[in-house]
Amino acid sequence: MTPAAKRILIVDDDRDFVEAIASFLEASGFTVRKAHTGSDAVKLARMERPDLILMDIMMGERTEGFFTIREMRRQEDLKGVPIFVLSALGTQMPDFGNPPEWAGLAHDEFLSKPVDMVQLVEKIRQRIGQPT
Amino acid sequence: MGEADAPETVVVIDDDYAMRLSCCKILSKMGVRVEAFEDGTRGLAGIGRLKPGLIVVDLKMPGISGIEVTSRVHEIDPQITIVVITGYATIDTAVEAMKCGAYDFLPKPFSPDELRLIVNRGLERRRLSLESQRCEIERAMLKRRFVTFVSHQLRTPLVAIHQYLDVLKHLGDTGEVAAKREEWLDRCLKRTEELQSLIADWLTLARVEGGALMKERIKVDLRQLLPGILKTYEEMAAGEGVSLHAALSEEPLCVGGDWNCLTVLFDNLITNGIKYNRPGGTVTVSGCLSGGEVVVTVADTGIGVPDKYRPFLFDEFFRIKDDGAKKTTGTGLGLHIAKRIVSEMSGSLDFESQPGAGSTFRVRLPAWHEADSAKPGSSE
Repeated sequence: MTPAAKRILIVDDDRDFVEAIASFLEASGFTVRKAHTGSDAVKLARMERPDLILMDIMMGERTEGFFTIREMRRQEDLKGVPIFVLSALGTQMPDFGNPPEWAGLAHDEFLSKPVDMVQLVEKIRQRIGQPT
Repeated sequence: MGEADAPETVVVIDDDYAMRLSCCKILSKMGVRVEAFEDGTRGLAGIGRLKPGLIVVDLKMPGISGIEVTSRVHEIDPQITIVVITGYATIDTAVEAMKCGAYDFLPKPFSPDELRLIVNRGLERRRLSLESQRCEIERAMLKRRFVTFVSHQLRTPLVAIHQYLDVLKHLGDTGEVAAKREEWLDRCLKRTEELQSLIADWLTLARVEGGALMKERIKVDLRQLLPGILKTYEEMAAGEGVSLHAALSEEPLCVGGDWNCLTVLFDNLITNGIKYNRPGGTVTVSGCLSGGEVVVTVADTGIGVPDKYRPFLFDEFFRIKDDGAKKTTGTGLGLHIAKRIVSEMSGSLDFESQPGAGSTFRVRLPAWHEADSAKPGSSE
């Protein structure tokens, strides 16, 4: 029996972006799940417990990604699932002065958009190992 | 502006009782609220409490000097205007006080008229500087928000295009991607169009805000303009299964404005009516003269505006993204631009809407008077 492919959940409200990234990840051997809103992402993540999550920040013209990350971090069943932030916001996450209530927002990796896909796959492999 | 309606407060600080009394008398008659204090310490405490617009302070007082009061007041609020009173012997000190930020000085003895004049001028200066400060802050905030949104809106399609091209470059020869090639290239083109219209809208807005579009104020008959616009969008409407109708009055519907500007205005309203509609629906453009105004309505039978979105409809970059709105394209600037154009023309734009049944946008513009063309500036 061959081991199941590693599953990646990609969350972004831009369907073209999701389509392009998903194709590349699939071609690299990963199984990809897609969500276009924060609430769909939380539902899907709890249902399928992916091996890694790629998260956009600016969704629906708000910083919906932040709230989605916080919600995911609260879920017991998603403990230990790495979250990579993919955003065009800048080269790093905005500094909110680190008040304690933002601690739940900690992400595991930040990649700025447009994403260097070779580097993305490399970072995913470093984190969760080979696709299968 | 409640702040402007309330009388200004003026604080007088002078150790001379007669001087305090006469200043209070003169200033009360001017309609301002006056409070007087006999020394700097009490004066500063009073200023913290009363938040006056202007202070009249004697330079030579026992205890805290007028100069010190001046610099301390500006630590409390740099917008407070300060007038210093000085005897002839202390003109040099008065100059020094002005270096510390005092607005003007009054050499003793002075007449009631001199006091009134200088206080009025000081209050006026303060009002103007507060107003320009407020405008500055508003403009800076607006600009910052606008830049953030625009850069997000510009980047999003660019990132999508970049990502597609990157995948095609990396995996172009593999079977699965080759099959999607055509579709992806089409998407790249669509996203490029999205960028083009965002830039076009952004430029239009910048030109409207700069007043450029309204410089060409000529007589425009909307009965000639509107049918042309409707014709332009017939094909687009047919594609959506929507029919376009015109119900324009027999009499001319003339307004003073710029042809291109008016075209942008009705373009935006009519394309919204088509996009936020449903197959089998209609868009009806009606126009008539009413009470010195040209009233044009654009009525659709579409999804309507949910109540919760009413306050935001004319905001820049606002777009309804409910299920009913499906995949409409747009920059979110159309109605904002429309509103700006109408207000530049001293008109109004409002709407009525029944969620699920349709919306009617109503434009009211001042009707053209032949005298308008003779007005100075109107033909520049």
